[in-house]
Amino acid sequence: MITVTNIVKQYGQRRVLDGLNFSADAKKITYVFGTSGGGKSTMPKVLIGATAPDSGEVRYGDMEITGLRGRSLDPYRKRIGVLFQNSALLNSLTVAENIALPIREHTALDDNIVRIMVKMKLELVGLRDFEDLYPGQLSGGMQKRVALARALALDPEIVYFDEPTSGLDPIIASVITKLIKDLNRLLGITCIVVTHAVDEAMRIADKIILLYRGKVLAEGTPQEIRESADPLVQQFITGSPDGPISFHASSRDFRDDLLVG
Amino acid sequence: MKNLFGYVGRAFFAFLGILARIYFLLRETLVQSRIVLGDRVKRRQAGILQRIDEVGARSLPLVMTVSAFLGIAFTVLVSFQLRELGALSYLPGFVAVALLREVAPLITALIIAGRVGAAFTSRIGTMNVAEEILALETMAINPVRFLVVNRFLAMLVSLPALTVIASATALVGGFLYGNLRLGIPLDTYLRETLDVIMFKDVYSGLVKSVVFGAVIVLVGCDRGFAVEGGAEGVGRATMLAVVSATLTIIVFDTILTTAFYG
Repeated sequence: MITVTNIVKQYGQRRVLDGLNFSADAKKITYVFGTSGGGKSTMPKVLIGATAPDSGEVRYGDMEITGLRGRSLDPYRKRIGVLFQNSALLNSLTVAENIALPIREHTALDDNIVRIMVKMKLELVGLRDFEDLYPGQLSGGMQKRVALARALALDPEIVYFDEPTSGLDPIIASVITKLIKDLNRLLGITCIVVTHAVDEAMRIADKIILLYRGKVLAEGTPQEIRESADPLVQQFITGSPDGPISFHASSRDFRDDLLVG
Repeated sequence: MKNLFGYVGRAFFAFLGILARIYFLLRETLVQSRIVLGDRVKRRQAGILQRIDEVGARSLPLVMTVSAFLGIAFTVLVSFQLRELGALSYLPGFVAVALLREVAPLITALIIAGRVGAAFTSRIGTMNVAEEILALETMAINPVRFLVVNRFLAMLVSLPALTVIASATALVGGFLYGNLRLGIPLDTYLRETLDVIMFKDVYSGLVKSVVFGAVIVLVGCDRGFAVEGGAEGVGRATMLAVVSATLTIIVFDTILTTAFYG
């Protein structure tokens, strides 16, 4: 179980996470979504230990993540997998080498065993014939799937997904969504997915967390979120341009701003 | 005036910050190099030979061409002066000492800083922007071991080797001018050269090349790790890497030349 308590993160004057509190259950799929600028991009970085919050605490089981730096994070990182929004595959390595990288780094397995493990991971994402290609030779959707295979290389307990379906065609997006569901249902992996894709979240999430201005606006099952009476929640899940959430990110009044000069 | 003090103060602290970063990068590189060299599997995975090919072998045509021309140009200039003084017999020794001690190590390092150091920055910088380095960290893979150690070890082998080849090529260039234009016979030229040069001339050049190699790798990689702001940031960091490495090499060259011969 991951517990996030009172996380605050500020960049200059802008407070992107403003006392964030939530928990994600083990072996469940938790979807996090929210408005742009609501802290959605910073939150996964805090969870994986890449960004230190100004205050607050992230715990995984009995391990406190926020107090760890550098190599002391390694035991935690060996237990997690991360699927980055832009895949973040190493372009100088082939698909197989990318997936083998964490296995070679953290195990003393023979090359033949590593090769078999790579094939198994690629089979899981349906790309077994692509092991000798370089990431640059693959489509965006394929890169995502290879990155997922790499995230699964060390059989992690949790996988963090950062916008796993953004920029993909609907069919590939559905494939990725189905993969997330299968990973959780068949392998019991805890999945934490940060996304814009409301429909996908409503379809497979066990729990949904809605972020707004660096705080949790609502959390619950898809059913509870759908039935929420909060107009902010309703505007977000229906994607309506009209409602309490303005598309203007500026805080100053437009008229005052024009008259200042 | 106040602004000037503010600017100088900020620049000074920024410089101290860079020095601290480079120190920690050097320390981590040495620690990780020891781990890689001590482990057969990690040594194989590091791909040091591949890097030697990239840093050393592929730089060879450029280094040799530049050194040959430089050897000729240098000999032309020195011979002009010596002939005026009627001391042309000193030409081979004079050229050899200057090339081995100063010109060849310096020029080779500057060529490699431009050709290879810049490539290190842009490669690591691009990886940084594409979150590949963050991906390595989240897989609990040390980015310094993965990205710096193989470049560092390859450079420590390649730059001294290139310096020796550059010195030899420049000497041949100098000899060709001395022989074909000035009519100095091969045996005289060779004897005059060998009479003057000492072992110290060779090893001081090699020590310099090891220091310059470390500077190129550390400055190049540090700038890559520090990249911010996408493609523009990578371009700026690459330019800064070449400028910083060039300046640092010149400073270290002066220090080392003074230490050896001052």
